[in-house]
Amino acid sequence: MNTQTQPESAEDLYQNAPFGYLSMRNDGLIVNINATLLKWLGYASDEIIMQKSFHELLTVGGKMYFETHMRPLLEMQSEVSEINIEFKTATLTRLPTLVNAKLTATGLDSKPVYRLSVLDITQRKQYELEMKIAREKAEQSVQRLKQINKELEQFAYTASHDLQAPLNNITGLMSLLENNTHDSAESEEQEYYSLIRSNTQSMKMMIKDLLDYSRIDSTETNFDKVSLNDVCESAKELIGDEINRNNASFQIADLPEVYGDRIKLVRLFLNIFSNAIKYRSEDDPLIKVDIDVKGNEVKIFVKDNGMGFKMDKAEQIFGFMKRLHGHSSIPGTGIGLSACKRIVEIHRGTIGVQSEPGKGSTFYFTLMQKEV
Amino acid sequence: MLNMNKEIMLRNNIHISGKGSQAIVFAHGFGCDQNMWRFITPAFEKDHRIILFDHVGSGKSDQSAYDFEKYNSLEGYAEDLIKICEELNLENVIFVGHSVGSIIGAIASLERPDIFKKLIMIGPSPCYTNKNGYFGGFSKEDIDELIETLESNYLGWSNYITPVIIGNPDKPEFSEELKNSFCSMNPKIAKHFAKVTFLSDNRDDLSRVLTPSLIIQCHPDVIAPLKVGEFVHESKPKSWYKLLDTSGHCPHLTAPDQVITAMKNFLNTDL
Repeated sequence: MNTQTQPESAEDLYQNAPFGYLSMRNDGLIVNINATLLKWLGYASDEIIMQKSFHELLTVGGKMYFETHMRPLLEMQSEVSEINIEFKTATLTRLPTLVNAKLTATGLDSKPVYRLSVLDITQRKQYELEMKIAREKAEQSVQRLKQINKELEQFAYTASHDLQAPLNNITGLMSLLENNTHDSAESEEQEYYSLIRSNTQSMKMMIKDLLDYSRIDSTETNFDKVSLNDVCESAKELIGDEINRNNASFQIADLPEVYGDRIKLVRLFLNIFSNAIKYRSEDDPLIKVDIDVKGNEVKIFVKDNGMGFKMDKAEQIFGFMKRLHGHSSIPGTGIGLSACKRIVEIHRGTIGVQSEPGKGSTFYFTLMQKEV
Repeated sequence: MLNMNKEIMLRNNIHISGKGSQAIVFAHGFGCDQNMWRFITPAFEKDHRIILFDHVGSGKSDQSAYDFEKYNSLEGYAEDLIKICEELNLENVIFVGHSVGSIIGAIASLERPDIFKKLIMIGPSPCYTNKNGYFGGFSKEDIDELIETLESNYLGWSNYITPVIIGNPDKPEFSEELKNSFCSMNPKIAKHFAKVTFLSDNRDDLSRVLTPSLIIQCHPDVIAPLKVGEFVHESKPKSWYKLLDTSGHCPHLTAPDQVITAMKNFLNTDL
């Protein structure tokens, strides 16, 4: 039995390759075409060879693209690749293809000949269209979401801003009423006044934090070179009272400059410092700021000796208006750390925390040294 | 003045060459850039001052200068052409335009006949769409189809990567992909330029252009068919018509010798 493999016939390979082949003169006249492409297009070879020009096999859009782009390119650089062009079949259906073409040896009548390989991309074209539609839809959704976000920010800002004025009036009137009440301290009225006062206070805090939070996105972000040591000092100054009242001390390492928005970074440090003091332990608060630089990324660690918390709550504390403590035990709104998270996100960084009850917490976040 | 000059030089990527004093300005058509003239210009280098430029949005022009409002009609391009001539102090200009470039030249010479001495129009079409008995060669739907083809070539998967590569000179492994790039344009600009080109109608302007002109026509030409070339010749006063023995829309690339001969014959004729 003869087991030797017959060499593949070049002619058969040309004719029946799963790929379309076509040769044309530089005036467009088709001088050869393989059986595969003929089958795709629904023609017999004698209808095409030396009978039709390449552009006659194309859709009108294809013809125009061929004349204005593909042909000039072929003339100037002798080859083109990955031209997406549509053929028109004998039955007038469309065949989307990718065409590569290259100048070969001069033909018999001394006119240059181009060889074209034609890849049927019907399925791929379908995916491409679907992708294009999906992309357009996604772009529209992004636009819509941006608009909605903007409106929501504006709403949060306006609402919290407008709530401030009547609340200030209420607080003022409360003081007047209290001054006019001469009952003993144990009276029911005094107790009510005290409750109203503390509720008004927490509402004030809530409105202020909401306003600050809405400002993170509603105000313009001005990125520049910012010294982190200066940022820490500014944050400390703003909470000077709290620091003094709690006898808090700081150990701040030499910090580098980062690329960021100064005002937002001050708020970031301020919130974290303020939390470290607010959730203090019995010891005087001690806050250490340290860094770890890796390439362009600076990781900042803010370690405190506060009360700490269980790590299963670590995710929760960055949630908007999420708190681990009741307002009566430690006043707060649950907005401060979500504001920190937002600020770090605006700086394309990440934020996290390590903590253990009774052993303090270490907040860490990343910033960039240079613009990316 | 110098700064202004530099700005326009960069905006339109102007290149000046040649040893003569007679100015000859070449304007490319839709789809490519000044590279199209590479087979023609050598024949004029000896005794002409050759000015090559890219229309804003094409080739290596300043893409950021593309103002969608200004270039919403061919007048915007004609304005640029006049500005180029003014800034370079060109007079008695021989203007050579291909396809839509030739119509841009005709509009400019209508506006400023004092600048232009002769126009050479290769494959001109004042109106590509068929209208009330006029044959332009295309229907509105055909133009939409071209825009679609453009979109798939500029925005399709094979070209999604191109803009990234152009902005990425550190990645030589992609240089192969740059092959088609000098004919590629910002997709939005390409679509807009295609619409403005193929939907424009400047038939009325032609009859008012008095600058002597040569119309160079090929047959068959899918983009500007024989009938259209004949229409240009009939409507335009002081026009000469040369039908070349070649087909296609870019004879300056496919049959440059014929184009050069026709141009020289026309330029050597006292009109």
